Amino acid sequence: MMLPLPEMILLPCALFASLLQRVPGILFGLPLVALASLIFAATHHEDPAEIRFGTIHWAVWLGGILGMVLAVVLLLGWLA
Amino acid sequence: MLTKNVVRKNGSILFNIGTEEGSDFCYRQNRLTLQNRIFIGRFFFVAKQFSPPVQQPAARIVAISPDDGSAIDLRNPALAAILSWCLPGLGQLYQGRTYKGSLCMAAILATFFVGQWLGDGKVVYASWKPGETRWAFICQAGVGVVALPALVQSLQLNSAAREPLLASVFMAPPLTQGQYVTQKYADLLVQHDPDIHADDFFDKPPLRQFRTDQLSIWHHRMGKFFEIGTLYTMLAGMLNVLVIFDAWAGPLGAPTEEDRQALRGKKMA
Repeated sequence: MMLPLPEMILLPCALFASLLQRVPGILFGLPLVALASLIFAATHHEDPAEIRFGTIHWAVWLGGILGMVLAVVLLLGWLA
Repeated sequence: MLTKNVVRKNGSILFNIGTEEGSDFCYRQNRLTLQNRIFIGRFFFVAKQFSPPVQQPAARIVAISPDDGSAIDLRNPALAAILSWCLPGLGQLYQGRTYKGSLCMAAILATFFVGQWLGDGKVVYASWKPGETRWAFICQAGVGVVALPALVQSLQLNSAAREPLLASVFMAPPLTQGQYVTQKYADLLVQHDPDIHADDFFDKPPLRQFRTDQLSIWHHRMGKFFEIGTLYTMLAGMLNVLVIFDAWAGPLGAPTEEDRQALRGKKMA
């Protein structure tokens, strides 16, 4: 069953806010992930459009990898 | 000394050979006799000896852009790398790569100064006392000139001067228990730091001796923001290393689909 549009937007935001509350470091870590993605993309490409696309590409990769690590750490902490 | 002028006229080549005495010899190539051919052969030999050296074009160091295959003139790569260390992105600006240079400069310097702000300006300092070694400074120094005042302040404080440059608290290392400082610097610390009081110093004229540990005071006051600020400034310095390498050797590049397929073909073989 499809949720109404406001709930579809509010629910992920609520989940993200809950995650930020549990792991406060994420709030300060996100700009660092963005910076690292930008520098990685800038040092791998020369064309401005490719740098912009590469930044998003690297941000997804870094966010995904670090997110997996965080999920494992949280899971281990919950199991312990 | 022999000189040579080559003149083309009516489809034939005239060699005009002049000597220092001013006498000239002229030959038409289309009327070659045996004697002419011998003379011209000797002429070529002599002209080759006395002809000015051919100017070779200066060697240029270029990198290939992974996006469109165009050449990137790296100019002086070593100088560009040093400039990029001094100020992030300055090496790229020197090479004419304006977009990348300004982007890296803005991003890295913004991260460094945000880290300084989060840490109340106290997270970048240099210290190598046993038990108090500031290993984070090794990464922070990657940002370049903006982190160097910390080194100067530390050298001044630990020297016979017993106070940082201009008696300023800017990027000065924290005082350790039992450390001697000048009265002027002690008064400045009491004035600027709300957690340091006059009775935190022993009077040892003409100096004053600190009774507690300033780093503990900073941690207690700032909490997690000291570590977060340290992390921001360290990351800015470490990422500048990649920018320095980019200035020295060009973009790192990503393998194209053709390269990946070639690699897969090699593995299967």
